[in-house]
Amino acid sequence: MMRRAQPWLGTLVDITLGSQADPQAVTAAFADVALVHRLMSFHDVDSDVSRFNRAAVGMPIEVDPHTWNVLRLAEQVAASSHGCFNVACAPRLVEWGYLPAPAAPAPAYVPGERTYALEADGRVRKTSASWIDLGGIAKGYAVDLAIDTLQRHGVGSACVNAGGDLRVIGDYDWPITIRAPREPANAGTRLVLRNAALATSANYFAARGHTSPLVDGRNGQACTDAHSVTVRAPSCALADALTKVVMASGDAHHPCLAKLGASAFII
Amino acid sequence: MIKSLPWVLLAAGAVGAPAFATQYLTAEQAQALMFPEATAFRRQDIALTTVQMQQVEKLAGVPARSVNWRAVAALKGDVPIGYMLLDDVIGKFELISFAVGLNSDASIRQVEILTYRESHGGEIRNPAWRKQFASKRAPGGLAIGEGIANISGATLSCTHVTDGVRRIAAIAQVVLAK
Repeated sequence: MMRRAQPWLGTLVDITLGSQADPQAVTAAFADVALVHRLMSFHDVDSDVSRFNRAAVGMPIEVDPHTWNVLRLAEQVAASSHGCFNVACAPRLVEWGYLPAPAAPAPAYVPGERTYALEADGRVRKTSASWIDLGGIAKGYAVDLAIDTLQRHGVGSACVNAGGDLRVIGDYDWPITIRAPREPANAGTRLVLRNAALATSANYFAARGHTSPLVDGRNGQACTDAHSVTVRAPSCALADALTKVVMASGDAHHPCLAKLGASAFII
Repeated sequence: MIKSLPWVLLAAGAVGAPAFATQYLTAEQAQALMFPEATAFRRQDIALTTVQMQQVEKLAGVPARSVNWRAVAALKGDVPIGYMLLDDVIGKFELISFAVGLNSDASIRQVEILTYRESHGGEIRNPAWRKQFASKRAPGGLAIGEGIANISGATLSCTHVTDGVRRIAAIAQVVLAK
């Protein structure tokens, strides 16, 4: 058993190895999380996301293959959820103070707008003036990348948890505690997880009055529901993104869950 | 209200639930991880002058907060190759102890969380509750047992940790940089 944590992606990322201690594998896994942080941060002016947001409409933009992967998955979840998930909500989050305002004036928020097209050569073309934020999916992707790296190092049993978006591997039932949404310092529910990812979204740490960092991609409305949404999926990026679909739709049986091999509950 | 529960749950209900706590590393483990090439470590605490505190605040953009800082020099032979500074920060209901490893030019080498502990409700403001962390770096300090489960929930922001890291980077630049 070995456990370490570092601050990345605006939260604490916790890596637990089940049966062996392999400091090099854990260090390599944290390096992956740091890479996702650097590429996909809305705050960092040098990130792929910031370069995309500054670019002119119509411009093809070189991005890291990891950023391209996340944008492709975001597109898939957006399509299968009929727009409940949309990474183009950043102008709303800046307006409400959840993201820092970049130097440029904010573009108008257009509900349901498509903001990019993925080119076959690995570049991304900006198709509208909006800003993107990958905060609803990148943490999950970072967890997946860290898990891949641990497996490459021969780690058999591990849990990677980025502020509640987590994934476990190994022939072991990992005990997971879900916070009680109305008393988040306490356990609401406990469950076990094996070779799967789990993500929870809720407002209890972030809601301010009528706003929240969870936005319905179809209309830009803040999801201020007091419940919490937990999704289990084969990958953490998917689990992370799908919590926003369930939060926006209020439907723990949204058809896109089964289509993507996921399931959800609301407490 | 539970709207839908498709999986088997081990237990439900929050009655008597423990506060979450995890010990990740002792200070000794953290320094060994950060400076594997070091041959020795020497305690070298820092006392800031008022002028230095002002410089730190200007560089970091956050209050310097304290005069005294716990620090360890990592040595290779007799030569310092870097430093590790220790700090605790308080969040909404959590207390986090962390260590920042710095190269001898004051650039950040690595940040490691040492302990994470949540309180029940108001305990975080209670000096007695905080006091139990005074000896947390002693070997065998906090029990790992209660922290084994992973927690899933809304993302808890760690802005106070990143502010703390920025403060320490500024202290290193003002006091330790060559």
